[in-house]
Amino acid sequence: MITKLTSLLGAGAIALGAALGTAHAADTVKVGVLHSLSGTMAISETSLRDILLFTFDEINAKGGVLGKKIQPVVVDGASNWPLFAEKAKQLLEQDKVAVTFGCWTSVSRKSVLPVYEKNNGLLFYPVQYEGEEESKNVAYTAEAVNQQATPAVDYYLAEGKKKFYLLGSDYVYPQTTNLVLLEYLLSKGVKLENIGGGFRKDGSGKIISAGKYTPFGHMDYQQIIAEIKQFAASGDACVISTLNGDTNVPFFKEYAAAGLTAETCPVVSFSISEDEFRGLPAKQLVGQLGCWTYFQSIDTPANKKFVADFQAWLKKSNVPGLVKEGRVTCSPMVLSYVGVYLWKAAVEKAGSFDVDKVRAAYQSGLSFDGPGGRVTTQKNMHVTKNVFIGETKADGQFKIVKSFQNVYGEPWLKGKFQAK
Amino acid sequence: MSDSPVHRLPPTILFIVVAALGACVACAQGAAAPTPRQLIAEAALTDDAAKKRELIGRLMGQGDPAIALLLEAWRTDVLFVYTAPDGAKVPVLLSGEKDAAGKQPATRVDTNALLTDAASAPLRLAATDLTAAEHTSSLRRAMKAVLDLADLAAPEPAKRTKAILTIGLAQDVEKLPALKARLAIETDESVKRALRESIAIAQLKDPSNETKLAALGELKELRSLASTDFITRALKEAEEAKDPVLAGGARAALRAVESHRSFVDFFGTLFRGVSLGSILLVAALGLAITFGLMRVINMAHGEMIAVGAYTTYLVQNIFATGITIPFFGFSLPIFGLNLTGAAYQWYFIAALPLSFITAALVGIGLERSVIRFLYRRPLESLLATWGVSLVMQQGLRLMFGANNVQVSSPVYLSGNWLVNDIILGWNRVFVIGFAILIVFGMWLVLTKTPLGLLIRASMQNRTMASCMGVRTERVNMLTFGLGSGLAGLAGAFLSQIGNVGPSLGQGYIIDSFMVVVVGGVGSIGGTILSAFGIGGIDQVLQQYLPYIAPGLTWVPGIGSFLQNLAQDAAVFGKILVLAGIILFLQWKPAGLFVTRSRNLED
Repeated sequence: MITKLTSLLGAGAIALGAALGTAHAADTVKVGVLHSLSGTMAISETSLRDILLFTFDEINAKGGVLGKKIQPVVVDGASNWPLFAEKAKQLLEQDKVAVTFGCWTSVSRKSVLPVYEKNNGLLFYPVQYEGEEESKNVAYTAEAVNQQATPAVDYYLAEGKKKFYLLGSDYVYPQTTNLVLLEYLLSKGVKLENIGGGFRKDGSGKIISAGKYTPFGHMDYQQIIAEIKQFAASGDACVISTLNGDTNVPFFKEYAAAGLTAETCPVVSFSISEDEFRGLPAKQLVGQLGCWTYFQSIDTPANKKFVADFQAWLKKSNVPGLVKEGRVTCSPMVLSYVGVYLWKAAVEKAGSFDVDKVRAAYQSGLSFDGPGGRVTTQKNMHVTKNVFIGETKADGQFKIVKSFQNVYGEPWLKGKFQAK
Repeated sequence: MSDSPVHRLPPTILFIVVAALGACVACAQGAAAPTPRQLIAEAALTDDAAKKRELIGRLMGQGDPAIALLLEAWRTDVLFVYTAPDGAKVPVLLSGEKDAAGKQPATRVDTNALLTDAASAPLRLAATDLTAAEHTSSLRRAMKAVLDLADLAAPEPAKRTKAILTIGLAQDVEKLPALKARLAIETDESVKRALRESIAIAQLKDPSNETKLAALGELKELRSLASTDFITRALKEAEEAKDPVLAGGARAALRAVESHRSFVDFFGTLFRGVSLGSILLVAALGLAITFGLMRVINMAHGEMIAVGAYTTYLVQNIFATGITIPFFGFSLPIFGLNLTGAAYQWYFIAALPLSFITAALVGIGLERSVIRFLYRRPLESLLATWGVSLVMQQGLRLMFGANNVQVSSPVYLSGNWLVNDIILGWNRVFVIGFAILIVFGMWLVLTKTPLGLLIRASMQNRTMASCMGVRTERVNMLTFGLGSGLAGLAGAFLSQIGNVGPSLGQGYIIDSFMVVVVGGVGSIGGTILSAFGIGGIDQVLQQYLPYIAPGLTWVPGIGSFLQNLAQDAAVFGKILVLAGIILFLQWKPAGLFVTRSRNLED
């Protein structure tokens, strides 16, 4: 019932967008925004809609793209994966958008992928993902596994860590990432018995899954924490967490109650960025690590200007339902922002909005100096960018402790690392 | 960090101490070797993380009290780097009186002299204009290693234990004499144990086989869980060296440690089972009254829990700086008491009765407005309360936002109690204690008070009670209020364990109904037994399923699937519990305890 209601609302939004679009069709270009604005993912994805609208306004104020103003067509995927595909179809077939910026979860991306491939559309995807995918219809500005997970492991190894506990929410991103991490750890000489969480083997004894998994909304972490405590008793241990969303609260509460600290057994979380701290107790995570290609605390003039501009836009914007207080910027938001500018650069290089021409320009290696430093597009539709590792501070920001410059985005990692 | 005694000194005294210590260092050390102060200053300036660690490492064993002071300052971000107009960088400490502009005299870290400008006039600097010297966790660990030796003599046993274990786990043979010296004078039993454990673990690196064997014997006697990896390594080395005596010793030690581990696992599981049971019980107790006694299928029970949790959140904010709630278009500012420190920590105790009262009032309001019209129509009450639950969820979302809110744990609930290597978290111990208290309180109310008598009479036979002059309308209202209040109390506890968000109640409603139904609707005793039973079985399955898993590969077809048990024990535990409950209810449809009544309606 709820789904029907939201799809009706979504349809209304499209109708509105279409009506506005026809008003000045000549000097505008339609661009799709496909995120969940309702349902469980809305908390995260609404921020991406906000940053996209901000970016469009910023570009329009400077004359638009190829002299045309960007006309956003915002639709609501409603945290409903099949609905994402329907919305994508509407965007491509009815609204005929030049490009779409959207999706957060991997399952929503997988759901719309066939639609974009069939219609030869172009989707910019901004959220860290598990790799093992490369479509000519998707521009992955997102962090690939080697732009987030493996640098974090490198950092831990440099810190002298010897035991790694893998923990995640039970879905495709943590499962795939942990499997790649397992291969990576083994290739770095970490012994199998020093990798915690558990394994599953197929009939031939090959490991097909690594790590400990809990479902979404899991609340009771006592047992897992007791296991980590024993795992870490001999020292030099750390946790690599792909736990998603609010399961982090009971996990970290239990973690602190068991007497574990960032100095004895640090946790690096791949799903907690500044934006997530709006709903997480940052105080209990102080000293724990995050690894992203952008942190709000990056101390460069470009980033300071970006943060200030976004805050100024929030103040004066009148987008309905926009949350104005306590807003921060985080990696998925910046990768959305960067994505728009990379698309703009590709369009301008191609001199056309035609997807094939834009793609060719995009694949030729365009650069943009974003808030997190320079990003460069690659032939495989991913982007080269800087990777940062930060320690959580009590105010929900990160203190950068390590940075890796110009890391090439590599989606195909399974089987790439050979055990020593 | 903040409990370091040095840190609590007022700035002026700190300054004098620094000056005195500095002078003493200058006279003790020769000019050739860099002084600890110079090493720290150099480390603060270099950008090379490895070099930083190396420089800090050289401080090890130097008996200069300035080291602890400076490193502590560094770790707490009060050691600053001053950039002179000519670009030269100088690490400084700020001390002494602040003037109106917030500026203080600065002391050079390297020489402990006052920082002066080119004309030799003392400079005054403000902390806000300076950058704190950087530190990462690896550097802090290096600092910790230095401070650990100093901490060996710390007055607090916990601090000593931590320092001792750090040295032991690093198998730092060079520091063995320091540990042994401490063991000779140590009086605290638990610290002594840590010392013996650390010495033995470090001695596993000793070249002499006899020392190794003795160390293994010691670890066997201590049943040290921390030593598992080290003994395993020693065993491997012994096997490679074909040393049967040593290998035998290592195996015996490993066996002792493993048997201790299964002991810890067993009692740890027991504790976790009781703790999960208490949470289920606390969450379900309110429902045992509204559904069990009153037979109202109350789908809004979960939202009553959420009301309690949000009340705790509000009380927390009132104790701090206050909060502004958007209330259907208006902003409702709530003042704050601006309490800090210990006074603030009491917020949770104040929140307990308040969350009970708030939820009870909401419950009474619900009973008066909706439920009293539906007492004889269970299906309609189910639908109506479900609607109420949706309305309440949305109401909470409008008032507090869709995001989860942060409820911090007071200090007395965040730590743990370690008994024989079994971790008993204070929050869990508290929940267990309180569950017992609530059950006892409820038993008192229901059996020893006139209200309890009226409640029981009305619930057993409303018409008859009414004929005897009981104002059943009022009793219904109060009973529903009591049940809702208990749910609110549950919310206050659950805020200490999990998330507080608008859909908090949804996570507990199914569990609550499950507990009440399995226990037998109408039987409070059954609810208690079923809560602990379900909690216990769930934890036992979580603990022991992974051990069963590897042995299941032979099962045709689903063998590899069953191996999931090791990784997804948390889910499989729950699935098996649910499956068990379904089977149980086939066997005993009315639950553990069947309440019989002479009421013709039943």
